[in-house]
Amino acid sequence: MATPLPMYPPTDETSAPRLELAEDLREFRDAANLEAVVKLAREVVEDPSYPTVRAWALHGGKAVGCFPVYTPQELIHSFGLLPVSLHGGGEHLEISHADAALGSFLCSISKSTLELALTRQLAPFQGFVFPYICDVSRNLEGLFPRLLPGPETHMLHLPQNFHTRAAVPFLTAEYRRLVVKLERLSGRPYDPDALAASMRLFNTHRARIAELNALKRTSPAKVSLIESYLLRRLGGLLPRELHLQLLDRFLPELERRPARPKDAVRVLLVGSFCEQPTLDLVDLLEQVGCYAVDDEFLQIHRWHGPIEPGDDPLASLAAAYVNAPIDIGVRATPTTKGEAILERVRVADAQAVLFLTAKFCEPALEDVVLYRRALDAQKIPYLHLEYEERSTAYEQSRLQLETFVESILFN
Amino acid sequence: MSGPTTPEFLARARDEQRDMVEQYYRDLASAGGPKRPVAYMLVGGNLTEIVRAFGYEVVFPEIVALNCAIKHVSLPNILNAESQGYGLDVCGYVKNDLGLQEMGGETPFGKIPKPDLLVCSFSGCYVYVKWWEALAERYGVPLFVFDVPYMRDRAPQAEDLAYVVTQLEEFIAFLEKTTGRSFDRAELTRVLAQSRRAEEGWVRYLRSGTHRPSPIEAYFEAVFYMFPINVLRGTATAADFYETVNAEVDERIRLGMYPVPEEKYRVVVEGVPPYPSYRTFWDFFRNWGAVSVAATYPKVGGLFDRGFLHDPARPLESIAEYSLGAYVNQSWPLRRELIADYVREYSADAVVIHGIKSCRSFTAGQGDLRDWLIHEKGVPTLYLESDHEDPRYFAPAQIKNRMDAFFESLEQRGATASAAGVAP
Repeated sequence: MATPLPMYPPTDETSAPRLELAEDLREFRDAANLEAVVKLAREVVEDPSYPTVRAWALHGGKAVGCFPVYTPQELIHSFGLLPVSLHGGGEHLEISHADAALGSFLCSISKSTLELALTRQLAPFQGFVFPYICDVSRNLEGLFPRLLPGPETHMLHLPQNFHTRAAVPFLTAEYRRLVVKLERLSGRPYDPDALAASMRLFNTHRARIAELNALKRTSPAKVSLIESYLLRRLGGLLPRELHLQLLDRFLPELERRPARPKDAVRVLLVGSFCEQPTLDLVDLLEQVGCYAVDDEFLQIHRWHGPIEPGDDPLASLAAAYVNAPIDIGVRATPTTKGEAILERVRVADAQAVLFLTAKFCEPALEDVVLYRRALDAQKIPYLHLEYEERSTAYEQSRLQLETFVESILFN
Repeated sequence: MSGPTTPEFLARARDEQRDMVEQYYRDLASAGGPKRPVAYMLVGGNLTEIVRAFGYEVVFPEIVALNCAIKHVSLPNILNAESQGYGLDVCGYVKNDLGLQEMGGETPFGKIPKPDLLVCSFSGCYVYVKWWEALAERYGVPLFVFDVPYMRDRAPQAEDLAYVVTQLEEFIAFLEKTTGRSFDRAELTRVLAQSRRAEEGWVRYLRSGTHRPSPIEAYFEAVFYMFPINVLRGTATAADFYETVNAEVDERIRLGMYPVPEEKYRVVVEGVPPYPSYRTFWDFFRNWGAVSVAATYPKVGGLFDRGFLHDPARPLESIAEYSLGAYVNQSWPLRRELIADYVREYSADAVVIHGIKSCRSFTAGQGDLRDWLIHEKGVPTLYLESDHEDPRYFAPAQIKNRMDAFFESLEQRGATASAAGVAP
């Protein structure tokens, strides 16, 4: 289908800002300081037309968009392709057509991702991967080939039975299916040595992200949540090599920052593993007196520790996914939800839990009930806020958060 | 526009089905609890035959939930779940069940026993995993997650089958350990033979919708007749039941007793019914002389009508194929083609899509299906929304208005085509 469908006339119209970057993305390398990078990151994140991907395409580079929460991005990278984390359209994108295709009662990220496709803002991409993290992401993949003809799309079935001996061979076979499409897209054959090299690069990248997360946990006053968030968000939008350079440059600077601790509540943020809150809401969390010492944002950068490629890097990559000790809403829990949340509170040394869930995100919403029971039993305070991508008024959230923080600080 | 018709054609088989349901719940609720241990299972991709071969009673909380909704008792359960913290956007089946469990499991059709075993067949619905995790935490009983790959190709791929068969072998070992019983392969073969007999009867019933006029109602009536194929599959009772049903369908054809005496519109229905307003919704169709000749929802337990039947000679392999083949485990391109095939094979005039708030698996993308049917297949298609469980989301006046407008336009189209001397 090359012609627009009657129901969804495609348009390039958008009210969102459009940022132009150099093809070698020198704006990031040449940034004077961390503040300049964070400012640039905000502009990139707020531009739904993927400026870093458009810049990458200027020299003929191809990109593959990865819907949250997990895709083996090392594998995409090993074909010389740019793996990019998709996070919806953000607060500036108006939904005009996607509602009609998807239906009501669905999360913002599914609608805005489809809206981006229908308004040709995903044109810089040559492929898409949708992992089966929920029924909506799975169904979305089924609509893409019809509504955005041309790019390769792939629905990745990530196993949910982590006790079977067949999980790793199955996931390896799933990755082979993806490999066939990546070969077609890149014009290169699968090369285990190239994958091993990409895995080593990603190992280093995850290690740096882990340092950033550890800094936030141990010295939360040294790096604000919005800085940490935007730095991590860039990791899914820039070539990993460049992002690694930025982390190498700025992590020591952050560690050297003088800590000016404030009277704040250490909170664990739970529930934002897929659709992202607006930047204003992320900012608000610490403005009202929280230190977000751990969170579920951008799990792709922390899914597992270092992976030894071994003789069969593809199988090693699959085993790393299956054996990762991740416990979030879109992965069957290896223990119980109650045990899992209490352990995470302990590790983060958190005083409270802030549930920050996207409207209509059923996996997150169902976990909240089980988590709350466990927290109630241990008298650990919590607050639940829901958000949508196009939220603009935060007065109620601010009031709830302030009351929550005060109730902990003054008790 | 003709007036509502009395569903006279629902005679012996419907009575028998009602007795069967009542007996099933009576057995579960018998004094001192059921005679056998209880496994909770989900409809899509279920492992009924294996669990039955190990002597378990099977409870399907989805079916309990729809029974609650159709008897207008789902709302208190839902409200209870909401008071536990399950929000408005959580699936109504989940809320009905978790609310019902919290209140002790009493229903107008009997007490639902607690589980001794939880089998989560992750086949086409991610909420299954979340629901069964909640039950596992509540009851502390063993949970087996049976992971079924999503179908992206017409035929199951070898690696998918290998993955599923390995899990089935592990499930059997798990049941041997849990029950202390040895696996009886001959018993499984016997149970599967009964399943196959029931499936053959069920398919014959469904295919009779190709007759014109249709002797069956392939959505509203078939929903009643799904009970044996999903809940009692593997028993002689289920297999025998479809013989009764098909004898009755033959008799309807002989006597000219059809679900809609003056069949005006033959429709394919996609989506889950609004159980709390089942009769009202059915009447909206009957008022217009519309009969569903094929539907997707009765295939949630398996696409038997597309060629798959359990094979006792290949027990685990055929159970694996069955689990992969659940309707909502099919990708959108496969679902779309299936619906278009139904329109053609059953000579349908239109498609009615009923989207529900609760079920993203079924519903997300149905708007695009409507667009595809209209613009690429030329099939008049109506899209409606409510819920399958929560009566607060069924707006009868709005739905009736939309249906009236749709069938009026079909009527007009037929009149116009007829005046022009062409087939509508």
